[in-house]
Amino acid sequence: MNKVSTILIVLVGLVLLSAMVAITFGPADIDSSQLMACLVGNCQNPIANVVIWQVRIPRVLVALVAGMGLAIAGAILQNTTRNPLADPYLFGIVSGAGLGATIANISLADNLTIALPLAAFLGALFSVIIVVFIAKVLQRMEQLLLAGVAVSFMLASITQFILYFGEPFATNRVIFWLMGSLARVEMSNFYVIASVLLIAIVTVLALHRQIDALLLGDESAASLGVDVDKLRLLMLGLCAALTATIVAYCGGIGFVGLMIPHIVRQLIGVTTLKLIIGSALIGAIFLIWVDVIARSSLPHAEIPIGIITSALGSIFFLFIMYRSRAIT
Amino acid sequence: MSTLINIFQLSWQVHNKAILKNINFNVCKGEVIGIIGPNGAGKTSLLRCLTNQGNILASTNVSGNVQLKNRPLAQFTAKEVAQHFALVMQKNETIFALSVQDVMKMGLLPHKSLFSLDSDHDKAQIALALQKVGLSEALHSHFNQLSGGEQQRVLIARALVQASQILVLDEPTNHLDVYYQHQVLQLVNKLNITVIMTVHDLNLASLYCQRLLLLDQGKLICDGTPEEVLAPEKLSKIFGLPCQQSIDAITGATQVSFYLNDNKVQHSDLLEKVGE
Repeated sequence: MNKVSTILIVLVGLVLLSAMVAITFGPADIDSSQLMACLVGNCQNPIANVVIWQVRIPRVLVALVAGMGLAIAGAILQNTTRNPLADPYLFGIVSGAGLGATIANISLADNLTIALPLAAFLGALFSVIIVVFIAKVLQRMEQLLLAGVAVSFMLASITQFILYFGEPFATNRVIFWLMGSLARVEMSNFYVIASVLLIAIVTVLALHRQIDALLLGDESAASLGVDVDKLRLLMLGLCAALTATIVAYCGGIGFVGLMIPHIVRQLIGVTTLKLIIGSALIGAIFLIWVDVIARSSLPHAEIPIGIITSALGSIFFLFIMYRSRAIT
Repeated sequence: MSTLINIFQLSWQVHNKAILKNINFNVCKGEVIGIIGPNGAGKTSLLRCLTNQGNILASTNVSGNVQLKNRPLAQFTAKEVAQHFALVMQKNETIFALSVQDVMKMGLLPHKSLFSLDSDHDKAQIALALQKVGLSEALHSHFNQLSGGEQQRVLIARALVQASQILVLDEPTNHLDVYYQHQVLQLVNKLNITVIMTVHDLNLASLYCQRLLLLDQGKLICDGTPEEVLAPEKLSKIFGLPCQQSIDAITGATQVSFYLNDNKVQHSDLLEKVGE
């Protein structure tokens, strides 16, 4: 067995272990025997049963698929744009989701359970449509990323304008939502995110050779029979749908798509198949544990998950910069 | 020799400027053809049409016909084109740490279906191609860390894995030192497949190509053996410099040398001056 297979097997084991251990964390006092009994359907304590099946398991499962999805979206964008700094957030997806959520909060305050994620999703898709439209007009990769940053700032400024004149409670809700949290997720959210994730993974696995061909330049890929424009648009659309779905339920969780593929490249490899599988596994482990930190660090409160990922991400990048300075 | 490619009255016009003008020629199986000419002559543009890059033949700016095996090239899908033509481009930069193996696997793409994984046969093909270009040991090396000559050889090996009948190279010796220029062209020459390449160095083109196409301002000026095409009167007119033709004493190939009008110093004169 080669090194890559060994690492992947270890990572699969760590994902399962992390998910199992993460279920044991939480404010409710449930011991391991109770936990095991509830997991195998032999629960004596109805409250523990509810906590495990309706709170902890959905939360861990959503963390698992959201971590996978954000890391995969970053990996796809980086390989299709040949830019290691490409990230779903750079394409204005969160700003678009933020704008959608703000409009929903201000105008539909009564029925936010469905309206908030739906509006966030539509906002995220709207931002990606603008970026893709600009990309089609410009037809240049470096400008595609700059277009994403420009759209991101534009939508953020509209959001801030609305919030500035908006009702204070609605403003608070939006700001907390943008910080990211898994506190209110349900099993139905897991099914939706998992479905989009499955579509994304299957599509990328089908087209992994085409995406790899892009790594040596557009001309080279075209000479190997790849329709470069079509492939890139498909991948951008896929990343947008994946990130928008996650952001709609979990709020803003930054840096995962930027950080995880970077680690996978060092550990497993740069080609799409290795990068996608590695990013999915490490992304899942990362977000499961970040969520454990988010809900267990403070005695009677949670830290928004986006604050932790951003803090870890910025430290990680300073470390990367320091390491590359040491090498050169 | 059977004809692989037929080009009839190929023209390409962009913003009232003719990039290619009424080009006609055929390519036979097994030929090694060099396309030569000054900068802006249309060499790379001809390669683009010849391989239908970016579906250029469908453009209204392009007229004429390019046929591959007696079928219009425009009717081939991009995948079919890639099964017939293997391209080695001038620039192949990647910022990611791709291994030689990763680059080689790209060559399998035109013959693979969706979801396909690498078979033992694929691995054997990659090993064989690398062996042919003398880089068997480099399988796990980083592509970016190879020398320019080694990178070109890897890309030629990728073209072999692509198993296309026609190898197309755009300035394969650009940025290479003399040693690697000869190494790469010698390798191309020994592959025993049809090769079409643009070459800047006329003497290298003469040494390694059986047939040369001389382009100037989008027109095909001359098509023939190196001796016919490298005629001093034609080259002097096109390159704007006096030119002399000679036969290389060692290789027997036709060679040309240019000199500036105000400095008509010949190699033999220089040798006399240094007392040899």
